[in-house]
Amino acid sequence: MERRLFLRCLGCGATATLLAQTELLPRALGGVQNACAFDYTKKLSSVEAWYYVKREGGGIECRLCPRRCVVTDLERGYCGVRETRGDIYYTLVYGLPCSLNIDPIEKKPLYHFYPGTTAFSLATAGCNANCKFCQNWEISQTRPEQTDNIDLPPQTIVDICNHRKVPSIAYTYSEPIIFFEYMYDTAKLGHEKGIRSVMITGGYIEKEPLKDLLQHLDAVKVDLKAIREQYYKDIVNAELKPVLDALVEIKRTGVWLEIVYLVVPTLNDSEEEFVELARWIKTNLGTDTPVHFSKFYPQYLLKNLPPTPTGTLEMARNICRAEGLEYVYLGNVPGHPAESTYCPKCNEVVIARRGYTILQVNLNNCRCSNCNNEIPGLF
Amino acid sequence: MSKVVVVKNAGIRPVKKLAVDQYRLLLETGLGALFDRKPASAALSTMFPGGVVGMKTNCLTRKLNSTPKSLTDAISEMLEDSGIKANNVVVWERTNRELADAGFELNASSFGRRCMGTDTNGLGYGRTFYNSGEVNSLISRILTDVIDRNINIPVLKDHSIAGLSGGLKNMYGAIHNPNKYHIPNCNPHAAHISNLEPIRKKNRLTIIDAIRVQYNSGPGFDSRYLEYFGGILLSTDPVAVDRVGLEILEHCRLMNKLPALEQVGRPVKYLKSADAIGLGMERFEEIDLQVLAVDENGAARPGELF
Ligand code: SF4
Repeated sequence: MERRLFLRCLGCGATATLLAQTELLPRALGGVQNACAFDYTKKLSSVEAWYYVKREGGGIECRLCPRRCVVTDLERGYCGVRETRGDIYYTLVYGLPCSLNIDPIEKKPLYHFYPGTTAFSLATAGCNANCKFCQNWEISQTRPEQTDNIDLPPQTIVDICNHRKVPSIAYTYSEPIIFFEYMYDTAKLGHEKGIRSVMITGGYIEKEPLKDLLQHLDAVKVDLKAIREQYYKDIVNAELKPVLDALVEIKRTGVWLEIVYLVVPTLNDSEEEFVELARWIKTNLGTDTPVHFSKFYPQYLLKNLPPTPTGTLEMARNICRAEGLEYVYLGNVPGHPAESTYCPKCNEVVIARRGYTILQVNLNNCRCSNCNNEIPGLF
Repeated sequence: MSKVVVVKNAGIRPVKKLAVDQYRLLLETGLGALFDRKPASAALSTMFPGGVVGMKTNCLTRKLNSTPKSLTDAISEMLEDSGIKANNVVVWERTNRELADAGFELNASSFGRRCMGTDTNGLGYGRTFYNSGEVNSLISRILTDVIDRNINIPVLKDHSIAGLSGGLKNMYGAIHNPNKYHIPNCNPHAAHISNLEPIRKKNRLTIIDAIRVQYNSGPGFDSRYLEYFGGILLSTDPVAVDRVGLEILEHCRLMNKLPALEQVGRPVKYLKSADAIGLGMERFEEIDLQVLAVDENGAARPGELF
């Protein structure tokens, strides 16, 4: 089993790189029988949105995310992809992704979820936050009429995955919560056809839609941007509390969960914050929840700060491990030993990684080959 | 002192909208009074001494209550009279679809008056982020690259979040991410959007269409809340002209027994914010307000605001 995993890995790395570098994906996918021609479209969808209530006196209140936008006729919510027409609320991005790729699952990053496999990754325009460091702002901070979109209904995605033997679909890059209906239908259909779904999210979502969605998801990676409310207010333009609630809910349902924390110099990189973070995770999610500390690079609205020193990331990792967290990784530092998974019992490498490539897998039925300790996750 | 001129149509009350000639009468009087120069073409040639002149419309509500084509046609004629070439007049909005739905004829060619949305091929939004306060936005390349000066031509109406939709609110249509800047009550964002460098520099004149004022349930069209005011507002001060517009909007609400905007949770605080950052004058008592009434022959006399 582990050998097959290793081979799968090499294959996926090559495919993803080729597709990404040559931008061949639309053409490559276009060869699939019954797949659409992947012409870019300027049309917007008019599918009625879910989770909203009509307000007395006009307009609606969106109950998809804690922002709870009140939106009147011809106006849009904060995310820019939902619009009221009359007293009906519509999603404008159903079936209209603007970004597609086949990525290694490690790129999400999900390290304990079928390592070495690929995920058909997609995003629409829009986001319900506005992180000042966003690396995908060109799609997340725009409206769907400003992006080149592709007509891609859920059925076509699932057909492509089956045809290309891609085992998972990843809703990622921007903020999938804002294309909820599209994600939900695709994930549901995927499950019916044996394709898994993973969501890469900021976790700023209301409880009811989250519960409904989790029934059709296999893994979630949450970007926990900080452990302080003030940071969420100043840098993210959202709130921390609902994200923490979402993390607890995901863990409670048993859907596989990993956390990424982007360490931004001077803004969320103090020792106290790392201690607080570790303790919160330990108490509320358990020590076996993987945490990835990721290196920040200056971009979008935070160009005035330097990249995160690797030493700061190492400090964060050391603090979390000292507090008892068992799987703490460093991201955006290719070649660092902390990209690999170590058995918390015997300290042996159970999955060796370099970048998105798996170098070695020492697992036997989800247990460390050396000491037989169970490693959490889906392998 | 900031000067605002309100010119009211004292002639025949139009069934629905004013024709080009009717708007011309109002504009001749209004521009003449605003710049203390006659004819209006002379005033315009001082204000727009060449280059490309844009006209930012508000076409949210299709033909129902958008900037009327007859108004932009009247201004275009006058600009041409003042020496601006037809092809150097650009009527613009966020999208071509909005313009077409509002009755405008699209034309991005090098012949005749131009009319185009930011989504016209080869345009879009620039690559430079402009900042003012909490606002960080890319700006329509029509404003940054195509035109040299802009006339802001909104329609006076109520707005469900901002309270007032006038000139400052209309510039949301010049940035790529307007959805990010509505809560709370568009304050202080509406002020800061108009303070983004290219917008502040190029906006030279605001002409608000207040022939029919939708005093409630905006910005979408709602025929239950229309009041005939019959005038246009003109100023080079983008804040003062909105402040007078607010006075009219509140008056229409009062006449129709609706509570003031503040009482329904829509205080128009962004005008104070705009004043605070030096964009213009918000204090009503310090605005030099001149009201004129024009009959169907173009004869003007001093008028009353209400
Ligand atoms: S999903 Fe969009 S419209 Fe709905 S509350 Fe969140 S930001 Fe507002």
